[in-house]
Amino acid sequence: MAKLNIVIGGVGGQGVITMGKMLIRAVKPEYKAVASETHGLAQRGGAVNVHVRIGDVYAPLVPLGRADYVIGLEAIEGLRNIRYACDSCVLVLNNKVQRPAIPKVALPTIDELINTAKNYVKVVVLVNAEDLALKAGNVKAANTVIIGTMLAVGKLRDFVDEEVLVNSLNDVNRKALYLGMENYDIVFSK
Amino acid sequence: MGRLLLLGNESIARGALEAGLAVAAGYPGTPSTEVIETLMKEKDRYVEWSVNEKVAFETAYGAAISGAYSLVSMKHVGLNVASDALMSSSYTGVEGAMVIFSAGDPSMWSSQNEQDNRYYGLMALIPVFEPFDPQSAHDLTVKAFEFSTKVKHPVLLVSNTRVNHSRTWVDVGELKPPVWGKLVKKPQVYSLVPAIARGNREKQLKRWELITEGVKEFNTIEGDGRKLIVTAGVGYAYVKELVEGDVRILRLGVSVPLNREQVLKAVEGVEEILVVEELEPIVETQLKNILFDEGIRVKVHGKDYVPRVGELTFEKVGKAVSKFLGLPFVEVKEPEVKIPDRPPALCPGCPHRSSFVDLKRGVVKGGLNTTFFSGDIGCYSLGVLPPFNSQDSLTEMGSSLGIANGIFRATNTVPVAVIGDSTFFHNGLSGLANAVYNNLPVLVVVLDNRVTAMTGQNPSPSREIEIEDVAKGLGVEFVKAFDPFNVKESIDVISEATRWVKENKKPAVVVAKRACALDVLDKVDGELPIAVVDEKKCTGCSICYDFFTCPAITVGKDKKAVIDQVLCIGCGACVPVCPYNAISLKGDVPKGWDEVWLS
Repeated sequence: MAKLNIVIGGVGGQGVITMGKMLIRAVKPEYKAVASETHGLAQRGGAVNVHVRIGDVYAPLVPLGRADYVIGLEAIEGLRNIRYACDSCVLVLNNKVQRPAIPKVALPTIDELINTAKNYVKVVVLVNAEDLALKAGNVKAANTVIIGTMLAVGKLRDFVDEEVLVNSLNDVNRKALYLGMENYDIVFSK
Repeated sequence: MGRLLLLGNESIARGALEAGLAVAAGYPGTPSTEVIETLMKEKDRYVEWSVNEKVAFETAYGAAISGAYSLVSMKHVGLNVASDALMSSSYTGVEGAMVIFSAGDPSMWSSQNEQDNRYYGLMALIPVFEPFDPQSAHDLTVKAFEFSTKVKHPVLLVSNTRVNHSRTWVDVGELKPPVWGKLVKKPQVYSLVPAIARGNREKQLKRWELITEGVKEFNTIEGDGRKLIVTAGVGYAYVKELVEGDVRILRLGVSVPLNREQVLKAVEGVEEILVVEELEPIVETQLKNILFDEGIRVKVHGKDYVPRVGELTFEKVGKAVSKFLGLPFVEVKEPEVKIPDRPPALCPGCPHRSSFVDLKRGVVKGGLNTTFFSGDIGCYSLGVLPPFNSQDSLTEMGSSLGIANGIFRATNTVPVAVIGDSTFFHNGLSGLANAVYNNLPVLVVVLDNRVTAMTGQNPSPSREIEIEDVAKGLGVEFVKAFDPFNVKESIDVISEATRWVKENKKPAVVVAKRACALDVLDKVDGELPIAVVDEKKCTGCSICYDFFTCPAITVGKDKKAVIDQVLCIGCGACVPVCPYNAISLKGDVPKGWDEVWLS
């Protein structure tokens, strides 16, 4: 039976857990779905990730090298989880580099991050998720924008029921979802 | 009856409601918090956040010895705090049902250690129920209540992060009305003076026999083969997904105690055994005991194959299972990607950030150039990180005051004890009493942000009890509060208190009072103000982003400060931090803004 493994990386407070919840809520009824979340102290502005597994699955975590999608709600956090990417992985990066709150930190640029990613994934997609979310009405809908992009690129569409997903969203998020479906750049593909 | 999308912890709460829970108490701690949070929504049951795990335990125990169905919830280290009561509960047993829920944190995502609380089951003679996913967490919780009332004994429900914080669809049943208690007096059972305790000890061992016989029904033997995998907890989920073909699996829903008869049935005709369990060799040791007793010489692999450190993963279980079954295992080479670390950080608007900055300047101004920052458990534990470096030790809830005492006695250095409001009531009171009683020169800084913030803004006793009054009541002679956002006032109060401690050789208590920023944001509606940087005034000195490190302040052209429009909440804490007055606030504050911050 089919499986879909997704690892979502982000900064605590960005809506990483909510994004996992939105995904599994919309999974087609014939599939099992489990999201494994980061809570507590680690959440406070730190690097967090959520593992979402759909299909014939029992275990909570994605195996290394087996994620069909790696998502960076913040671009550095996408790269932090690149070890989970499989050969045919779609990497979706929000076009945003957020400075960790530590002294004297050297930040990579988005282009440097994309260049590194090329060695490990099949497709790199860049989305201006915050801008699109603002356009939809709320900057916090950036995670929904990214789900829209995931529906447009890769296998997610086979596993979730788009109608269920759309019906679970309010107006702002619905708009964000559609904006994400239509506005993204495939910056690398092999 | 239906299907709900639930977190493991929500499944446990749901199971408890279906079993007839009446009284629940707990102290928040990751990854356990959502059990009580979920139960609190039910108005027909009594649910409370207690001041600490010991009180919570005794509350649930008191309910259970009067015949009620009760639950106590805490994280793994919380059971250490409640362990005195735990040991006694096993001697007396209960009249109703008592489920002790303790959530472990292998890999220490949000904890100071990764102790395996199943040892408490072995030590206290209390059976340990161990789910492997949210569905089994739900089902086992219902069964744990049934079993507890059947054997008249408390039971432990132990699960770890990846069960507690996994979310999935769960099949649920009907809710049952709460089972309350009635006043029963049995001092001959519940008053553990030596004569009674001696009798109880015998009865406890009799109940343990009954329990050992009864646990069979929670375990299953699946598949068949000459090789046996014995597994409990989340280990089963990995084994189930990894193993195909001729392997026998003994899945333990109860990992303490093992049932001899069931083990012997599972090992019949088996040539080799692998035990897959997270952390310590609890099942492995019990299994080896039984096999040795029975003279069965079969090779048992456990912690020689499955690491004792950290949570289980596909890689760890996969490697062990492959080795055991003689299959090839391809190790995934992890790419080395150079990216900056991102440790957790105090939130934008967090009053602790300002308190740490004020504290360093205040103690120096008060004449204390060398000190020891004796820290504690809470969001402010992040003060251990640069640039603050203001937690020289932090070991457990309430550690700041006791350790400060030891530091002073051994080195004669006047220490600074830093403790949060919730932690102060949890286990700080006795340390403060000791400081007064034994004349400890210590500056105690209580960071009172009005909530138990780290676990998701759970309520704190500081809302109902003034910390200044408590300190005065305990005999502290110097007690003052300050607003950490008011830098000048804060430094004055801290330096005055520091001088007082040095001169009088007694403890002083200062209380930093300002609400948790996340709690403030939850309580106000409307547009927030925002900080703006005057580029002409900003010199690029870097104090605001390198030494104050608010996540909302980043670096722009010529090292000048830039405010992140999404992250900034307009709290204004950075305004007095800039030596060049380059930061100001723009926009109006929402209704009730100042009142909520200073409530």
